[in-house]
Amino acid sequence: MKFLVVDDSATMRRIVINSLQRIGFNETVEAGDGQEALEKFDSSVKFVITDWNMPNMTGTEFTKVLRSRDDGRHVPVLMVTARSVKEDILTAMEAGVNNYIVKPFTPQVLKEKIDALLPAAAA
Amino acid sequence: MNDPRAQTAYYESEAALRLVDKELDQLRDGAEMVSRFVTVSLADLPLILERANGQIRAVLSHLRETRQALQSTTFEKLQTTHDKIKEVTSATEDAAINIMDACDRASQIVDELDGIDASETPDRAKASELRSTLRDELFMMMGALQFQDITSQQLAHASSVLVEMETRLADIANLFDSSLATDRPLATLAAVDEKAYDPNATIRNAEERQNLADSIFTTVKAPAA
Repeated sequence: MKFLVVDDSATMRRIVINSLQRIGFNETVEAGDGQEALEKFDSSVKFVITDWNMPNMTGTEFTKVLRSRDDGRHVPVLMVTARSVKEDILTAMEAGVNNYIVKPFTPQVLKEKIDALLPAAAA
Repeated sequence: MNDPRAQTAYYESEAALRLVDKELDQLRDGAEMVSRFVTVSLADLPLILERANGQIRAVLSHLRETRQALQSTTFEKLQTTHDKIKEVTSATEDAAINIMDACDRASQIVDELDGIDASETPDRAKASELRSTLRDELFMMMGALQFQDITSQQLAHASSVLVEMETRLADIANLFDSSLATDRPLATLAAVDEKAYDPNATIRNAEERQNLADSIFTTVKAPAA
């Protein structure tokens, strides 16, 4: 299963990709912001993990655009972000995010959220 | 007064007195002129005082604006920035300590593995368990580096406050001397893209904040994937 990992921090991308590999997902593609993520997204991507705060295009902006595309309407989007006030979480949900992880996160939390969304990703 | 020296002294004194008298006459004329001038100035005094009062009020108004600008810059922005930078220091130290602790534990595990290898009857199951623990420790070290992303956002926020302060201080300088404002370009620090950081980013209370996100996603129906 191919994951698209979107974060402007190379450190965070590496941590997320390393976490994915630990739980058995070795196929990943990276992007440094929402615009690059849109360019790299195609129907082979089955799961998106995105940060919120990024230059050029944020994670919520990217998710909204993704949801307007035929090939991105149903792909699971997991947001991993430092933002954690109630309004932000609701905004992410309205943008089309399926679940939400607050930074700094533990590998267990990442695994739980991915596991919960896997059936949709496999569909 | 037969003494010629006495006569000379007398004439010289008389001449001196005449000179003094002449000087006094000139001074008297001058005093009258001064007196006339003062009379005219006194008539204008209310106008002069009013004008001076207006100038003093304008200066006070500028000083108040300056004080307000300084207050809003220093009291709120600087305090927040100071707190953020303190948090960066503390998060960096916490991460460093966590990584060092994990290094110590990993080192002990390697020693134990060496012990198993040196044994005549190596406990393979124990070695496998230790290797798994070692992998966990290494993974924990990598996870501890998440602080870098959050502290970089906090520093980006601090940087944006500095840029704002530079602009405000330039405005204050402009109040006193507009020529100062054109001496050099504003915002010598590159402005950070506001989209790229969260001013409230923090490393604290991660579990509590995750619980809040989970409760919202549980109570409010998340979009179906």
